[in-house]
Amino acid sequence: MNVNPITIAPVFPVWLIILFFGLALAQTAAQCVKNWAKLGSRRTLVVSLLRCTAIVVLVIFALNPSVVTRNEHRISPAIAIIVDTSESMGQSAAGGKASRLAEAKALLMEGDSPLLASLSEKYEVHVYGLADLLRPLESGDVARLEAAGRKGDVSGALSAISDRNAVAVLLSDGSVKWDESAAPMLPTVTVPFGDPETYQDILIKEISAPVIAFRDREVTIDVTLKSYGYTDLTLPVLLKDSGRLLSAKDIRVQADPGESTVALSFVPSEVGQKNLSISIPQQVGERIDDNNQVSLSIKVVRDKTRILMVSGNPSMNYRFMRTALKSDPSIDLLSFVILRTPSDILNVRSYEQSLIPFPVKTLFLTELTNFDLLIFDNFNYALYLRPEHLESIRAFVEGGGSFAMVGGPNLFDEGRYGLSPIGEILPVQFASGEFYRRDPPVRVRLSPAGARHPILHSGGEYQEGDRDPGLLWQEMSPLDGVNLMEAKKSATVLLETAQGIPWPVLTVSEKGKGRVLALTTDYAWKWYMGMVANGKGNQHYLMLIHRMVRWLTKDPGLELVQMILPETTVSTGRETEVRIRYQAGVPSQTSDAAVSFSVFDPQGVKIDSALKPAAQPGEHIVSFFPQNGGIFRIKVETPVGELEESMVVAGPLAGLDAGPDHDRLQKISTSTGGKYIPREADLAKEIEQFARKAEKRFIEEKRVPIWATAFVMALVLALLSSEWYLRRRWGLI
Amino acid sequence: MISRRKFLSMVVGFMGGWISSWSKPALGSLFPHFFFAQLKYRGGEWDPNPLFAEAIVEELELRTSIDARKERRIMQLSDRDLFFCPFLYMAGRYEFEPFTQQEREVLRRFLTYGGFLFAEDTVGAKGFGFDRSFRREMREVLPGYEMKRLSSEHSVYQSFYLIGSFGGRQRVNPYLEGVTIDSWTPVIYSQNDLSGAWSRDRFGKWLHACVPGGEPQRKAAFKMGINIIVYSLTSDYKRDVIHHPFIKRRQNL
Repeated sequence: MNVNPITIAPVFPVWLIILFFGLALAQTAAQCVKNWAKLGSRRTLVVSLLRCTAIVVLVIFALNPSVVTRNEHRISPAIAIIVDTSESMGQSAAGGKASRLAEAKALLMEGDSPLLASLSEKYEVHVYGLADLLRPLESGDVARLEAAGRKGDVSGALSAISDRNAVAVLLSDGSVKWDESAAPMLPTVTVPFGDPETYQDILIKEISAPVIAFRDREVTIDVTLKSYGYTDLTLPVLLKDSGRLLSAKDIRVQADPGESTVALSFVPSEVGQKNLSISIPQQVGERIDDNNQVSLSIKVVRDKTRILMVSGNPSMNYRFMRTALKSDPSIDLLSFVILRTPSDILNVRSYEQSLIPFPVKTLFLTELTNFDLLIFDNFNYALYLRPEHLESIRAFVEGGGSFAMVGGPNLFDEGRYGLSPIGEILPVQFASGEFYRRDPPVRVRLSPAGARHPILHSGGEYQEGDRDPGLLWQEMSPLDGVNLMEAKKSATVLLETAQGIPWPVLTVSEKGKGRVLALTTDYAWKWYMGMVANGKGNQHYLMLIHRMVRWLTKDPGLELVQMILPETTVSTGRETEVRIRYQAGVPSQTSDAAVSFSVFDPQGVKIDSALKPAAQPGEHIVSFFPQNGGIFRIKVETPVGELEESMVVAGPLAGLDAGPDHDRLQKISTSTGGKYIPREADLAKEIEQFARKAEKRFIEEKRVPIWATAFVMALVLALLSSEWYLRRRWGLI
Repeated sequence: MISRRKFLSMVVGFMGGWISSWSKPALGSLFPHFFFAQLKYRGGEWDPNPLFAEAIVEELELRTSIDARKERRIMQLSDRDLFFCPFLYMAGRYEFEPFTQQEREVLRRFLTYGGFLFAEDTVGAKGFGFDRSFRREMREVLPGYEMKRLSSEHSVYQSFYLIGSFGGRQRVNPYLEGVTIDSWTPVIYSQNDLSGAWSRDRFGKWLHACVPGGEPQRKAAFKMGINIIVYSLTSDYKRDVIHHPFIKRRQNL
C-alpha cells in the first residue's frame, strides 16, 4: 500500500499554537470543575467534550496539514545529425564507389531500417548540413544534398546547436575545422567516411606570401605541401610569373600523410601587380589535380622613388626643384647639371675642374630602367643624346616609366624635339614659330581639368587646404618665361597662361604604361619665392613638386579613385563585390558621374558585372560572379582617373585537402564525451545508448491541504455553537 | 695682300658685329637666371667696387652654361623683389648701421627660405669695420647659427673648379666662411676682396693689383667667384653619390 506522506505548514508559530492549546485545555478543565456541581457529570462531560473537540479541530486547523503527491516524468532527448557537405565529401568513397556524401545519404535514408527514420520514431531529430555555413535541413532536403563549399567548422556548429540538442551525430570524412577549446560539451557521435588507406593526393596546402613587396628586394614565399599515399618522393615546386619561371626548388615527401614546407624567393625588378602561380607536377594515382596549382597576386611597390634629373644649366629652377625633391626622404635623386656646353671655353686642365663626363650611354641605354622618373630640365638633348638614347627613353616610358620635361629656352631645341622619339611621348607640341617667350610676365590659371586632377587637387593636403585652388593660383607669382606649345589631343592641360592665348604651362598625359608631364616654364621657382615674399610658406611649391612626382610614378595614395577588393578569399560561383571609393574632396557631381567597370576572367574575356551605388556617398559597388578560378583583372574608368587591379579567385578544388582524417573524428568524439563509431556497427543502437544517457527526468510534486477548507471551519463553528447552545439551554449562560 | 678698303670694311664689319652682339637683347625678363643684386644699406660704404660685375659675368658666360646678365641691381632690404634675386651681394669697408628689426626679419626669411647672400669685407680687417658689423647682423638675423670656416670638403670649393688656392685683391684668409643650415649654406663670407680683383675699367684695365700673388691670385679670384655663383644655383649637388668619388679621385691626382 502506497501512502502519500502528510506534511504540516503551520499558519501561526508552533509555540503560539501549543500555548493556545494548553490555555484552552486548562480553561476547559476549570470550566468542567465549575460546571460539575451545577449540571452533573453527564452534561458537564458533554459540554467539555464539545469544547475540547472544537479546540483540537482549531489546533489542527492552525497546523495546516497537507497530503503530498509525487509524479515522475521522462523527456526524450533531441538528436542533431550533422552531415558534412563540404567539397571533400564529393570525392569518391572507399574502393572508388559513389561519393562520401552519397554514402552518408544512403546511411540516413536507405536500407531496411534507415537511420534517420528509426531515430525519428523515438526522438526529436534535427538534421543540418555543414560546409562554409551550418544550415538546418528539412527531411526532404537530405536527398538533394550536394558537396560544395569549404571545410566546415564543427566546433562552431556544435556551439550553435548545443542548446537545442542533447546528442550530435557527425557524418564526415574528417576534413573539417576543429577547435577543441571552443567546442561545447555536447556528446558527439562521429561516423567516418572515405578511406585513408587508399587515398592518394598531393596538394599545395598553404602559401605564406606578402601582399605587398618592394622592388629590388627579395620576396620569399613559403609553400606548404601535403601528401597522402606517397612516400620517398621528390617533387619540384615551381614559381612562375605569367608562365615565366622565377624560381624552383625540390621538396622531399617522406611521411604518409605528411607535410613539407619549402621557401621560394625572387627579386621583383618592376613595380606593379605581379600575377604569380605556384605549381607541382601531377603524380600517378592522384585523386585531385586542381589542387596542385595556386595563383597569387603580389603588388610590387618601390621603397624609394628613384629620379634621374638632367638640367641644361645651373639655374634657380634647378636648385628649387632639387630642394623640393631632396626634402622628400622617399626620393632618391641623381642629378646631372650641364655646367659647361661644348662652346664654353675651359681655361684649366681637366683635373682642376669638377666636371665629370656625362655618362649618356650608361644612363640611357643601361641604367634607365632602374629609375622611376626621368626629368629633363631646360635640357637641349641634341648636343648629348643620340637617336638610340631617345628611343630608349621612349621605350622606358611606354614600358611603365615616367618622364617630365621642364621648360626653358633650351628645352625644345627650336622644335627638333618634336621630330624625335621624345616628341612622340610628350604631351605638348609646337604651335608656332616662336618656341619660347620672355616678358611680359604672365600669370597662370587652373584649367577645369586641373581643378580635379590629383596633382593640383590638394585633397586637403595643403595646410591651407580649404582655400579655393583657383584663387591660390591667381596669387602665385607671374612667370617670366614660358614655352609656346599646344597640348596634344591625348593630353590634359592642368595649368595655362591666364592672359592672351592660353598657352599650356602644366600638361600631362599617359603613354603606353607610363606617364608624361610637361612643365613648360623655367620660372616655376618664382611660385616658391613669391609665396615666401608674401609672408607665406613654401609648402605650395613643395607640394606641387611632390605631387607631380607621385602622380608620375603612380603612387596609389594619390589616386582620386580607389578600388577596395574583398578581404577574404573569393570563390567561384559566388557573388563578389568590389567597392570603388572617391577620395575626400572630389566634387559630388564628379563622383556621381558614370563609372565604367570591366571585369576580365583569367583568359582575358570580359564577363558580366553590375554597378550599383553604395550606401555611402562617393562609393559604388560592383558585383560579378566568377565562374572559374584564377586571376581576374578589374578595370575601373571614372571621370577623375582609371585603375586596374588583379584579384585571385580560388577555383572549386584549388587548395582542396580531401584526405580523410578519421583521427580528427576520433578526437572530436573523445573531447566531447561522444563516441567514434565505424559504419559497420549498429549505429542506431549505439546512438540510442547515448540518447538514453542524455534522457532527462523530472518529478512533479503536488501538495493538497487537508484542513484549510470551509468544511473544517464549519465543523469548528458547529462544535462551538452546539456547546454554546447546550450551555444556554442548561442555564449556564 | 689685303687692300686698305677691304681692311677698313673688315674692321667696320667686325666692330658692327661686336656692337650688335652687345646690343642684341638677351632673352629679357624681369628676373634673369643670373644677375647680381647688390644690397644697399645705411652707413659705411655699401659699394666699394662698383665695376666688379662685368668681368666676372663675362667669365661666367665664357666658362659655364649659366644664362647670366651683365647687370647689377641695387636692392634694399625693403624691396619686395629681393626674393626673386638669385644672388644677393653685399660688400663694404666700414661699420654700418644696424638693420632694423623689420629688415632683419626680411633677410632672415630670404635666407631661411632659399635665398643666397655673398658678402665681402673688402678691407679685410678682422674684428673691425664691415667685418664687425656684418658678423653682428648675422648673429641677429640667424640666431642659433654660427658663421664658420667652410671646410675644404664644402661644395663651394668643388662646384665648378677644384679650388686649390684662394684668390682676391688681398689674401687675408685661405678659406671662406659661411652660415650653414642643414646642407645648404645661404651665407658665404669672404675677406679677400674678390670683387676688387674682378673690377676693371671701361677699357678693360684692372682697377686693383692683387697682392701678394699678382695675376695668378686674380685668376684664382675669378675661379672662386664662378664657384660661388655655381654653388648658389646648384646647391650641394656635387655631393651626390655619383659626383663625389670622381672629384675625390681628381683631387688626389
